[in-house]
Amino acid sequence: MDWFSFIVAGIMVYVAVAVFLVGSIYRVIQWRRTPKSPIRQGMFPRTGNSLTRTLKLGKDSFLFPQVLDTDRWMWFFVIGMHLAGIGLFFGHLRLITEFTPLYNALGPDGMEKLANWVGGGIGIFLFIAFIYFLLRRFKSPYRELSVPEDYLLIVLILAIILLGDHLRFTKSFALQDYRDYVSSLLHFKPAFVTTIKFSAQKWVLDAHILTANLLLMYFPFSKLVHAMGGFAGNLLRSE
Amino acid sequence: MVTREEQDLAVKVLDEKTNRQLLYYLDICTRCAICKDACHQYVTTGDILYLPAYRAQLIRRVFRKYFTIQGKIIPSVVEATAPNDKLLEDLYRTTYACTSCRRCMYYCPFSIDTTWFTSIGRAMLVAIGRGSTILGELADAAIMKGDNIDMFRDILIDGLKDTENEFKVRVGDPAATIPIGKKGAHSLYVALAGTHTILPMAIIFHQAKADWTLSLFEAANYGYFYGDTARAKKIAQRFVDEAKALGVQEIIISECGHAYRVMEFLYEAWAKEKLPFKIRAAVDVMHDYMKEGRIKLKPGSLSEPVTYHDPCQVGRNGGFYEEPRNIVKAVAADYREMTPNREKQWCCGGGGGLVAESEFDTLREVSGQKKVEQIRKTGAKVLVTPCENCRLQIEMLNEKNNLGIRISSVMDLVVDSMDLPGAKPT
Repeated sequence: MDWFSFIVAGIMVYVAVAVFLVGSIYRVIQWRRTPKSPIRQGMFPRTGNSLTRTLKLGKDSFLFPQVLDTDRWMWFFVIGMHLAGIGLFFGHLRLITEFTPLYNALGPDGMEKLANWVGGGIGIFLFIAFIYFLLRRFKSPYRELSVPEDYLLIVLILAIILLGDHLRFTKSFALQDYRDYVSSLLHFKPAFVTTIKFSAQKWVLDAHILTANLLLMYFPFSKLVHAMGGFAGNLLRSE
Repeated sequence: MVTREEQDLAVKVLDEKTNRQLLYYLDICTRCAICKDACHQYVTTGDILYLPAYRAQLIRRVFRKYFTIQGKIIPSVVEATAPNDKLLEDLYRTTYACTSCRRCMYYCPFSIDTTWFTSIGRAMLVAIGRGSTILGELADAAIMKGDNIDMFRDILIDGLKDTENEFKVRVGDPAATIPIGKKGAHSLYVALAGTHTILPMAIIFHQAKADWTLSLFEAANYGYFYGDTARAKKIAQRFVDEAKALGVQEIIISECGHAYRVMEFLYEAWAKEKLPFKIRAAVDVMHDYMKEGRIKLKPGSLSEPVTYHDPCQVGRNGGFYEEPRNIVKAVAADYREMTPNREKQWCCGGGGGLVAESEFDTLREVSGQKKVEQIRKTGAKVLVTPCENCRLQIEMLNEKNNLGIRISSVMDLVVDSMDLPGAKPT
């Protein structure tokens, strides 16, 4: 590993994960340690019991019915983006280990086809979605409301998506190459295999990992904490 | 120009008022602006200051400047700002213009409560002497009345003589009285200033054979509108103390949305005490009387087309959707629902203290256009609403837009549809 790759795809990955975990825990502790006002803020009609309250919380937090009611395009891209995010998470888990039952069911070719179609589809969808989010910010009143952080986050995520799409669509490296790299990370001996080390595409991979690291590190201090705090907000709605 | 001391004071108020709810709201807003279509003021004016997320953003800028790592390391990226003159002027316009209807909270994907921001904004402005002058004066007048009630008592009782005489005629009972200071009464009724909410409720209580007494104080709470919790608590405490001294079992708040909200949802938190009696809304009490057969309403007695406006503080923020509707439907031959309604209804534009602040008259007129559209679509000739602020606002809209409707409170509607021995004076 060259020194740049060692820093970005090695040390920085550990730092990013640590900052993400410690920062997220810190934010949750910060919320929980701040005294809660005893004023009940719920709106009416109120849900009857804890089960219906939980169901309402799930509906509001995962299906965004109010967004659907107000802005259908936004709802389409927002719900698609969150679903695609979950897909990406599981897709990247394949870099650690194979989903054996699925692999056995589909066979090597079938699995490869599925990964290409789903991974590629998600990559294209996310690119379109974030272009939509970016362009939306340039329109009034979103433009007046937006702060530089809003644009920076979208640009950062777009960069991650574009670099990821490049790696997928150019088939720069084999699955096993990635697995070897991730395995080296997990064993605290970060290293690229030879095919990556001597490839021009290495810089794309480095840049993909660098931008992902930056996003992970900024996450706990950005509005992305709505992924955690959004549930609390929606719970207050029905208290 | 704002001084450094004033800035420090405003920031101190923000620090003191920061609680878990505010922290969530400060952190989780994505500025998606879904709320833009929820606010009647933004929809009708297109002014960014009235966009709910922007109202919150002003507070967020100050919070980030003083209380966050990002605000200290990358202030321009997160727009961290000191409370300068421009920000404070915008804060005044956004916070005092907000009617606290919480329609934006309903539509927010994270349920962010904008009133949490506007109430803190108002408190910051009050602390540095930049609060609404008229709301401050009205709040102080109410507190002064409470502090000197012995001086006012006889004047208030004397002022009720004519109303009491009319009451006797209407119920056909020369011995009937409007009880004041009746110890051990079941209910303490807290009316609004003037007699227009005393006479109809007195008739309803009499017909229902209720054991009640009238409060010397009015329900409206300008301290709440002003944004000063200490003043708001003092104003409400006047009749809380009265209720304790009389030993009543419940306080009935007149048809006044914010007054009910203050007592049912806010007062115990402010006073840090559990009230030894129930808080009830007049509209709920009337509904119970109707259900129990204690008052008889003539079905179909109102032949004109009727519609009902859900006051935000009675419906979305108070929980009474069906009770007033059931009363209206019981007497209306032709009931017409506005769309949208209940939790999605549009604010009339008069809440939050705006009807008392002449500086917002134009905004009230413009932002009421969503309500005007809704009323027109029903073709109704009568509009019923159980909130004084809504009534005043819709009366203004009626006049300015030639809607040609009659606006009625629920209690007036009830009295008009009861068989009473005495005729209504013309």
